[in-house]
Amino acid sequence: MKIFRWRAIGPLLLFLAGLGVLWWLFADRIARRTAEDVGTTVLGARVDIDRLHIDLAKGAVEVRGLTVASPFEPFKNLLQADELVANVAIEPLLEKKVVIDRLAANGLRFGTTRTTSGLVAPGDQAAATRNVGAQVQAFGERFHIPALALAGGALEVGGLDVNRLETVGAARALAGRADSSRQAWLTQLTTLDPRATVDSTMRLVERLKTARPTDLALINDARRQLDAVTRLQQGVTGLERSVRAGADSLGASVRALDAARQRDYAFARSLVQLPSFDAPNLAAALFGSAAIQRFQRALYWAQLGRQYLPPGLRPRETPGPRRARRAGTDVQFPRERAWPGFLLREGELSFTLAPESEAPQQFAGRLEGLTSAPAIYGRPTTFTAAGPAVRVGAMVDHVGAEARDTAAAEIGGVALPAVLIPGLPLRLEAGRGTVGLSFALEGDRVRGAWRVRAPAVAWARDSTAPRGSDVQQLVERVLSGIGDIDLEARLGGSLAAPALAVRSNLDDVLAARLRAVLGEEVAVVERALRARVDSAVGTQVGAVSAQVAGLTDEATRRLGIERTQLDQARQALEQQLRQLTRGLPGIRIP
Amino acid sequence: MLALVKLVQSIVKALHSDGTPGQVALGLALGSIVGLTPLMNLHNAVVLGLIIILNVSFPGAMLGIAVFTPFGFLLDPLFDAAGRRLLVDTPALTPLWTSLANTPVVPLTNFNNTVVLGSVAVSLALFVPLTLAARWGVARYRATIGERIRRSAWYRAVTASKAYNVYRLFRPET
Repeated sequence: MKIFRWRAIGPLLLFLAGLGVLWWLFADRIARRTAEDVGTTVLGARVDIDRLHIDLAKGAVEVRGLTVASPFEPFKNLLQADELVANVAIEPLLEKKVVIDRLAANGLRFGTTRTTSGLVAPGDQAAATRNVGAQVQAFGERFHIPALALAGGALEVGGLDVNRLETVGAARALAGRADSSRQAWLTQLTTLDPRATVDSTMRLVERLKTARPTDLALINDARRQLDAVTRLQQGVTGLERSVRAGADSLGASVRALDAARQRDYAFARSLVQLPSFDAPNLAAALFGSAAIQRFQRALYWAQLGRQYLPPGLRPRETPGPRRARRAGTDVQFPRERAWPGFLLREGELSFTLAPESEAPQQFAGRLEGLTSAPAIYGRPTTFTAAGPAVRVGAMVDHVGAEARDTAAAEIGGVALPAVLIPGLPLRLEAGRGTVGLSFALEGDRVRGAWRVRAPAVAWARDSTAPRGSDVQQLVERVLSGIGDIDLEARLGGSLAAPALAVRSNLDDVLAARLRAVLGEEVAVVERALRARVDSAVGTQVGAVSAQVAGLTDEATRRLGIERTQLDQARQALEQQLRQLTRGLPGIRIP
Repeated sequence: MLALVKLVQSIVKALHSDGTPGQVALGLALGSIVGLTPLMNLHNAVVLGLIIILNVSFPGAMLGIAVFTPFGFLLDPLFDAAGRRLLVDTPALTPLWTSLANTPVVPLTNFNNTVVLGSVAVSLALFVPLTLAARWGVARYRATIGERIRRSAWYRAVTASKAYNVYRLFRPET
């Protein structure tokens, strides 16, 4: 029997030729759709490509009409590119790896508008991208932005539940502790029992008065009694030390009640939402949300980078390709001194900034070492761009065990986006100005700054909004009179506990005007609040303070009496012993 | 319904093809690899090439693909688990996978996918038992009821179809 079916060679070659024709016909389309799908699932927003052409003979891939939607704003694009031309190394393709020696990107534009929403449903995003979105969302929720409290009408002391005051609970707990301490000290004093020892000593003294110097047994009893008295004195000294420490601790707790009372004042104040005159609070209330939004976006890209450009050489798991069959899991096995799965050695990028404005700015950028396996490539990814009034720099360093991502950009003379003022029907039209954003994520430590300088701003009021309270009208009037903005928001702390500090030239002006107009009224309400809190907690705090003071006094007094009696008994015993043994050679009282 | 008819056609053609039971069984076993594993993978192109070039039963291979494709879908969770065991949960194999992942052409097989590796491993493990069982089954069929079915009217209808002519191109050479 023959092993090979030679006459099938023809059909087999035909089959292979058919595959070649299919590749020729559909490779570009398949690659374009794959690139769109992968881009969309990874970035979490729609990626569209007008045309993609693969020229394997020349090792070139040409992309025209790339549009990447913003994952944050439905009708904005993150970027658009007229043309991307990549020189792709052929050899790594055999290992299913994409190594781009050089990428030329022309006609890049950022923040253009789009007619259809570019957002994608969470189900169409990769799990890692979804996780990043959730993490960034949670990060934003960790900030406590003070609300711009603009109470309408008369300020009143609201219902204050006494049981929710911290001082009340603390005072109760302290009273319990004082009782326990008193009980413990009494028990220790009873155990020592100095009275019995004093009595037995005094009886021995009486016997010694009538004893003869040769009564050695009695003299030995006296010496043993002296030892017992000494031990008892040491016990009393130890108890005194313990009482002093306990009294100090109780005293500290009494002082802590004052701090708790201050917190209760703040709590009561929050219940009636008094307007804050604190300038940083006002700045945070006005611009905190906008600043957090900027930092959240920066964090999104940094975290996305960490997901898809992870440090280390350990095998990594990613979801398998979508297909009718189960997708399974793709496991990547990176190795040193091998190609990474993806590497862009260098990219020359040509940008247009503010493309929809009257005077778009042109500038050039350079991207180096963008790779899916930084540990293999061994160098961080860097990006720099410069132009008239534009400076951008970024470094993604995932080479070491701890990832470090930093980026900074400052752009001048651009149209700044409008900012909605929370709590007010006002929109700040910032006009043209300078905006700067820096962001650093090192491990889980986060640092950032957002600066806006706009010399000619305008304030637009929502004409459909109601007139609002007198306070609100005052604030609107004050804000509308301010013609320039100098704003800075600083981010610090960690991802788990971030901190935000905001300041602007509006804060002091607004705070001063509010203080002048509302200060007296607010002071009256604050006094009333303090009185409410004081009446609720004052009795308890007074009682427990007196209890602690009385307990300390009583313990000190009783211990003093016991110590005095012990000293007297000891002196009497020593004196009798000296008298009895005077003149006897070789006998000394200890 | 059409798929069912096609399946019956495949079974009939395979069982009554000119190939020996061994050729039919080998074709069926090779077809089972295509059926059990995700289709669009490089190893399946190799297996299809083998089915065409080797002197095995083509209808047997088609029967293998038709019969085992549903099992492939059904057994995907098992394949996923088997692949995970090999790729992730067996650290001793990690150097092998790392080496293969960095060898030209091999990564194009998608062996680093749990379902692909698991299904290929299972289908290769089943290859010999399946071949032996199929050879025994085909031989028994032909020795018992095969001749009666060959003389039936509907069998002649099947073999008279145009598809049968295409099949003859790949008929095993004895």
